[in-house]
Amino acid sequence: MIELKNVGFQYENADSGSLCGVNLRIGRGECVLLCGRSGCGKTTLTRLMNGLIPHFYEGTLSGSVRIGNLDVAESELYDTARLVGSVFQNPRSQFFCVDTTGELAFGCENLGLPPEEIERRTARSALEMGAEDLLGRSIFQLSGGEKQKIACASVSAMGPEVFVLDEPTSNLDMRAIGDLKNTLRLWKAQGKTIVIAEHRLHWLTDLCDRAVYLRDGQVEYDLPMAEFCRFSPEKLQSLGLRALSLADIRNERTRPCPEETFLLKNFLHCYRGREPLALDIAETELPKGGVIAVVGGNGAGKSTLSQCLCGLKRGFGGVCVCGGKTYSRRQMLKKSYLVMQDVNHQLFCESVEEELRLGMSGTDETGLWKIMDALALTALWERHPMSLSGGQKQRVAIASALLAGKEFLVFDEPTSGLDFYHMEKTAALLRALGGKTTVLIVTHDPELIVRCCDYVLRLERGRAVEQYALDEAGQQKLRRYFDREERMEILHG
Amino acid sequence: MGKGILQTSRQRRGLILDPRTKLLMLITVSAFVLGGLGGDRLPFLVPVLCLAVLALFLTAGKYRAAAIYLSVYAAANLAAVLLLPRLSGFFYFLLLGSVGIFSRVMPGVALGAYVVSTTTVSEFTAAMQRMHVSEKITIPMSVMFRFFPTVGEEFSAINAAMRMRGISFGGGSPGKMLEYRLVPLLTCSAKIGEELSAAALTRGLGGETRRTNICRIGFGMQDIAVIALCGGCFAAVGLSYLGVI
Repeated sequence: MIELKNVGFQYENADSGSLCGVNLRIGRGECVLLCGRSGCGKTTLTRLMNGLIPHFYEGTLSGSVRIGNLDVAESELYDTARLVGSVFQNPRSQFFCVDTTGELAFGCENLGLPPEEIERRTARSALEMGAEDLLGRSIFQLSGGEKQKIACASVSAMGPEVFVLDEPTSNLDMRAIGDLKNTLRLWKAQGKTIVIAEHRLHWLTDLCDRAVYLRDGQVEYDLPMAEFCRFSPEKLQSLGLRALSLADIRNERTRPCPEETFLLKNFLHCYRGREPLALDIAETELPKGGVIAVVGGNGAGKSTLSQCLCGLKRGFGGVCVCGGKTYSRRQMLKKSYLVMQDVNHQLFCESVEEELRLGMSGTDETGLWKIMDALALTALWERHPMSLSGGQKQRVAIASALLAGKEFLVFDEPTSGLDFYHMEKTAALLRALGGKTTVLIVTHDPELIVRCCDYVLRLERGRAVEQYALDEAGQQKLRRYFDREERMEILHG
Repeated sequence: MGKGILQTSRQRRGLILDPRTKLLMLITVSAFVLGGLGGDRLPFLVPVLCLAVLALFLTAGKYRAAAIYLSVYAAANLAAVLLLPRLSGFFYFLLLGSVGIFSRVMPGVALGAYVVSTTTVSEFTAAMQRMHVSEKITIPMSVMFRFFPTVGEEFSAINAAMRMRGISFGGGSPGKMLEYRLVPLLTCSAKIGEELSAAALTRGLGGETRRTNICRIGFGMQDIAVIALCGGCFAAVGLSYLGVI
């Protein structure tokens, strides 16, 4: 079905992600996993298959890519689109329409199908994906998992033979991953060919038939999935890959939780026009100086909690009692800092140094250089923040928060879409931040949690349903929770 | 977000007008209420059109907006009748100005808000297609509508980040205040725009086949009533210039 012959590609403006001498044959009905470190070229490979390379992303291409009887480089994108359906990483930016029904129909409308046929197809694909209750809604009111469901249904309605997915789970929680797994099963049962580039591997072990591991733009392993699954956890880590099974996720070097605590009181928040409280925590005690994981499914109130803690919700009446002092919302705004998932939102200046000086409390020169050293930013001090890599940007944001004298740091999904190597680096950084500052991490990533957290707070429907120290027993509890979440949706489906 | 700009949900939308009818109504209201086309000879047309705007809000089930619109409009007109004759000098002109804005400009703006909030993107493209407007114009416009709420989301995230850094006011300098907002906004928007185009292209946008549209638009009784009203207004002007009325 898919045939790549001696393919090489080099992006016009970037070094990473280039390919060199790739040969790959994928048969009809196969389900293939593409994996490897960040920048190994797996996204590039998916773009070659759906025609975005060379028609949208520019660069030099050699070799040939064929899908069925179609030469991708020589055909127009809209012809490739009939044959290959694509699902992307960011659910926010892959929708053309504002409403879900229009989005489902969008691809078929482009094919010029008659309206009756489109309606039949969209109804069928919505039924198959379990997305009927999402029809007629605004895209902006959907959760990440629901958006990804619509994206899949929309592609499915066009009836392509090949599905190409590029890191589809980066922004999803475990339940939504379970959902996506059902969708892939369905496509597989329909005899479609599936190619999926992913960092998170645990949900694909019993789904994919074959694993292709890329290193520096070349295929290093091309194995049947069963053989790939026999790789030891250590070997996977040395390849820069995430764990194949949630059971492998453990950390022997647990450290005790700090004794001292702080108190969140009256953490209640209700969104206008929606009845149940989005956040409903009357009082809870958390370790001061701890690294705390905040877990829970979509809509559990995790982001509401982080915004309330950072003093960003106007009219919020809760307080935080810490070290004998009571901080109101306004004081929390000064004391805490949210490192957003898209860190581009919070870098404003023309150089790293200027960025860090902005909002610095006092003029502590030695403090500035000490923190820059600690976060490995010294060599970058003249660079424009927007020219840095994702991890470097994240460190600039952290440094600016520390220099502004923040005591609470809240991270929103700091490792979404990161490979093992970068995830572990981030984990080490977050772990080092604990002690002096209190760190809260909102995340769906169990591997990150066991590597850096010492406490877990689990939310459900706005309430704190569970909280425990992450010792040996705590880790077991955590694994059970993630395992159950993933299974939940599969049982439903 | 998403509310207000091209509301999309099909439920609870009340009476649905064809986008083309809405466009005609928009032109009529702008011409008469804002542009003063009726002049002094047809003073009754302006209040009639303003009430028609109110009726549209009511039929769309937007009772809160209707109440606000009605009270502001009534207050402006009452002030013009009761207060204006008693004032003089600075306050007279101040009130005259605000009354003018509220009674002349607001109905047009309110109707614009109604049109935008009750038309879905698919309705819009379908209507444009029927009017034989080229896809070169309609596709960029529908992307623009898609983009507004996204930019809004980005903007509120940037604002939150600025508040946490304590630089919401840019240290007092308006230039900085703008720069701090625009630099991240542009970076993020450019990235989203690129991803959006890539996603649209892999779904076959821009092909040679003529696009179809599942959205069924057409004129109903309600459209005929609105068109008759608009036509009546223009006919009245024509007749009055001919000296019939």
